[in-house]
Amino acid sequence: MTGARFVDPTVLARIGNLDLIARHVVDGFINGLHRAPHFGASIDFAEHRGYVPGDDIRRLDWRLFARTDKFYLKQYEADTNTNFAVLLDISKSMSFAGEGRVSKIEYARYLAACMGYMAHRQRDRCGIVTFDEDIVSYVPPSAKHFDVMLHTLDRAEPVRPGRLRAPLEKIAEHFKRRSVVALISDLYEEPGEIMEAIKPYRHLGNDIMVFHVLDRAELEFPYRESSRFQDLETGEEIPVVPESLLKQYRELIQGHIESIRTKCSEIRVDYTVVDTSRPLDDALFSYMAHRERTMRVR
Amino acid sequence: MAFLAPLFLVGLAALAVPVLVHLIQRERKTPIEFPSLMFVRRIPYQSVQRRRITNWPLFLLRCAAIILIVFAFSRPFLTQTSVQAAIATSGAREVVILLDRSASMGYADTWQRAQAEAVRVIDGLGNGDQATLVLFDRNAEENVRATGDQTRLRAAVEAAELSSGATRYAPALRLAQSVLSRSTLGQKEVVAISDMQRTGWERPEEIQFPEGTTFTPVSVAPVDPKNISVTSVAFNRARFATEERITITAALTNRGPETVSGVPVTLQIDGIQTGSTQVTLPPGVATPVSFPAFTLSQAFARGVVKAGTDPLEADNAFNFVLSPTRPPPVLVVTRDGAGPMESLYLASGLSVGTPPAFQVETMPISKLNASALSRASVVVLSDVTVPGPLGPELRRFVERGGGILSILGSRSGSLDGEGTLLPGTLADPKDAPGGRFETLGVIDFSHEAFELFKTPNSGDFSSVRFFRFRPITPEPSDAVLARFADGTVAMVERKVAGGRVIAFGSTLDGDWNDLVLKPVFVPLLHQITRYLGQVETQPEWQTSGQVVDVTQRVAALTAGGSDQRVTSAVVLSPSGRRTTVGEGGAASSVDVNEQGFYEIRPQGGAASGRPFTLAVNLDAGESDLSAMDAQEFTAGATGRASLIASTVATEVRPEDTERRQSVWWFLLLVGFVLLVAESVLANRLSQKPVVSMPVARA
Repeated sequence: MTGARFVDPTVLARIGNLDLIARHVVDGFINGLHRAPHFGASIDFAEHRGYVPGDDIRRLDWRLFARTDKFYLKQYEADTNTNFAVLLDISKSMSFAGEGRVSKIEYARYLAACMGYMAHRQRDRCGIVTFDEDIVSYVPPSAKHFDVMLHTLDRAEPVRPGRLRAPLEKIAEHFKRRSVVALISDLYEEPGEIMEAIKPYRHLGNDIMVFHVLDRAELEFPYRESSRFQDLETGEEIPVVPESLLKQYRELIQGHIESIRTKCSEIRVDYTVVDTSRPLDDALFSYMAHRERTMRVR
Repeated sequence: MAFLAPLFLVGLAALAVPVLVHLIQRERKTPIEFPSLMFVRRIPYQSVQRRRITNWPLFLLRCAAIILIVFAFSRPFLTQTSVQAAIATSGAREVVILLDRSASMGYADTWQRAQAEAVRVIDGLGNGDQATLVLFDRNAEENVRATGDQTRLRAAVEAAELSSGATRYAPALRLAQSVLSRSTLGQKEVVAISDMQRTGWERPEEIQFPEGTTFTPVSVAPVDPKNISVTSVAFNRARFATEERITITAALTNRGPETVSGVPVTLQIDGIQTGSTQVTLPPGVATPVSFPAFTLSQAFARGVVKAGTDPLEADNAFNFVLSPTRPPPVLVVTRDGAGPMESLYLASGLSVGTPPAFQVETMPISKLNASALSRASVVVLSDVTVPGPLGPELRRFVERGGGILSILGSRSGSLDGEGTLLPGTLADPKDAPGGRFETLGVIDFSHEAFELFKTPNSGDFSSVRFFRFRPITPEPSDAVLARFADGTVAMVERKVAGGRVIAFGSTLDGDWNDLVLKPVFVPLLHQITRYLGQVETQPEWQTSGQVVDVTQRVAALTAGGSDQRVTSAVVLSPSGRRTTVGEGGAASSVDVNEQGFYEIRPQGGAASGRPFTLAVNLDAGESDLSAMDAQEFTAGATGRASLIASTVATEVRPEDTERRQSVWWFLLLVGFVLLVAESVLANRLSQKPVVSMPVARA
């Protein structure tokens, strides 16, 4: 379904079936990529290089040896059967939805489903971890767990307040095999704390992608009337005069984002800010680009 | 600006409402759910008081609406100062220059300075300005009417001349008021150039200049003026043989602050100096100066008393006209054989006076003839019956202008046999009822014969007792002058052609009444006789500005002259101006406004003897040079003690001013328009797509 990737998230929300949503979005997305100068997803020959002692002689190109009388090794694209795991934050703050937009948790579901579907199509093993202040559900990556993953996504409800470090540290020990890990969260933690939560995965050799899901209201703070604002997670209420803090708030949220972006780049973690008012393709491009890089094996 | 109901200004406190509405925005009852307040918490909390107004247009609109509505209820109105200030900044001027040309302005160089001030005002006129030049003394005249032609105005000022008139400010101010009220120019100004003589104010004048008029007095009053004036002249006449000698006494007044010695005083009669002396005049006191008696032989002798040589020369001379006194001849006619007692009271009463008021001749009825009648101007018939042949003579005598006083007694009868002279029909003598006496019940004091007794305590007629009287029934055309208490006519008048006949219904010999014993007798007799003889007393001088009735004099000139073609007279003023009066027998009057001697001559005819002459002097008030200061003058002219005056505002009640302006109506209208605009703007703002509160979705 060409163009489905540009469908507004609110339209996708009417479909209701995550599998169907993922198919439509990803199929359209892939078809679009075929016409784009991006890498394909197939396993293919990459290049030749000279033999050096210690190389596996099974990779020698005997035909080239016959023509040139020199040893060359054939290099192929890496094997794609890797683990793909989604770490989905389902804390209460993810239930927030701006006017006329899908909630952050819903958007996160679509995103996770789409990435899972793409991984599933590439025969990757899919898994998911949902957490708030603790681990809520854990679906280990498996080639057969795509449906379970979708089911888990469907059942995920933001109820409790969330924390990053404790649940992520707790589940990190389960990722012993090199995996692609997508963290989807609104990251309401200090950047340092976030990095501390991510680092264990990085140290274990996982490739980490961070999707910072934010509603536009969180980015722009477009309120006018003075009101009491209630923290969705803690229930705390604060009287706020939006006009008086608008500028400072925007500076703070942008500073927060930049701080996370900087720290992520320091530890080679892909970081993407996902605006729930925009189509899913931004996030999917980010995923695909990352996948492309990790698939090349020299 | 002032307010008729200033208490409503308390409503301005309502301004707090939009301020609070804009500053204290109400908080939503339901809190806004937000994912995390970790960033909000880091921002220092700002209290309500430190909030700022976000929508200034809406806020100002609301404030303006409230202010206008509150002001409308307070009923504002512009005071004269506000109005004056508002209009003083722009617009052409309508200037009325009041230039005093009264006789007092002739003091030294006062008139020249006044002219210079007037020229200065004219030079100050701008483009579009108009000026009216008003010259005033006793009267005011528009010399140049509302023009912007400065050359013409300047020429008019330079051509203006002093008059002999007295100073009166009211006519000039009224004329200025009239000019300004007609003007459509924005600024109105009155410039009064005068010596500010205090005597110019007669009484509080009601002058109402248009609102916002600027009144500027320019005083050219001399400083410490020294002035000696001849204020009046008295004449003491004495008969010497057939001649009359007159002693003249002049009253001199020194208006200066110091005693003046050696003041030369001279008397001139017909241009010949007949007396001179030197006197010392203390300040502020009238000093009499007498001259030696002289014999007056001719009529209309011109006399002048001169005193001093001070800067105001006009009042140093006092003019008068003297003529020998000629008592009117009166013929008292008694019955034949009457004793002297019968005409004693009449003859004595008529002869009283110094010099004698009348030239009395007594004769019996039998000796009365045309010759005797021709010598008399008045005939008194004391209880006589006129013989038939004499009747026509009497009628002609009356028709020529003669007068008859008929004293009705028991012997009285018809005067001319036809009943045309006697005013009414006689009845038989009648005694007072009950053997008592009758009194006069009704007297026509408006009649010239009784006018002397018009004022209270001027004569008591109620004490006169009438024991017997002769009733007379007048014709409807006859004028009843007095009635007895029972309504019977006591005195009646009939006018026949140019003469007059008065019948008195009782005797004047002391028998039928006691009138001859009462104090009112002689004055009454003189008054009646003067009236019947149509005796005209010519004053020795007139005051400048008076209007003198010369109808009789002109009639005498035109009818009594030898040339029958003369039908009118010419009045020659002291300056030589000729005016024709009395054409076609019309009433004639002369407006004497020049100091000096006026002559009245027959038109085109040769004058026989000296012409009729009138002497004219300045108003005595012109000699009093005491001046008011500018503030006092302004207060007198406008009712305010400031240079900028508007008598309208001071006399009109604030309610009337407010009602006239009706500013509240416009304020209320604009206020409601602003409220409508506020509603529209507020609705639009509320419909503007704003970010709605997010809702949490599971």
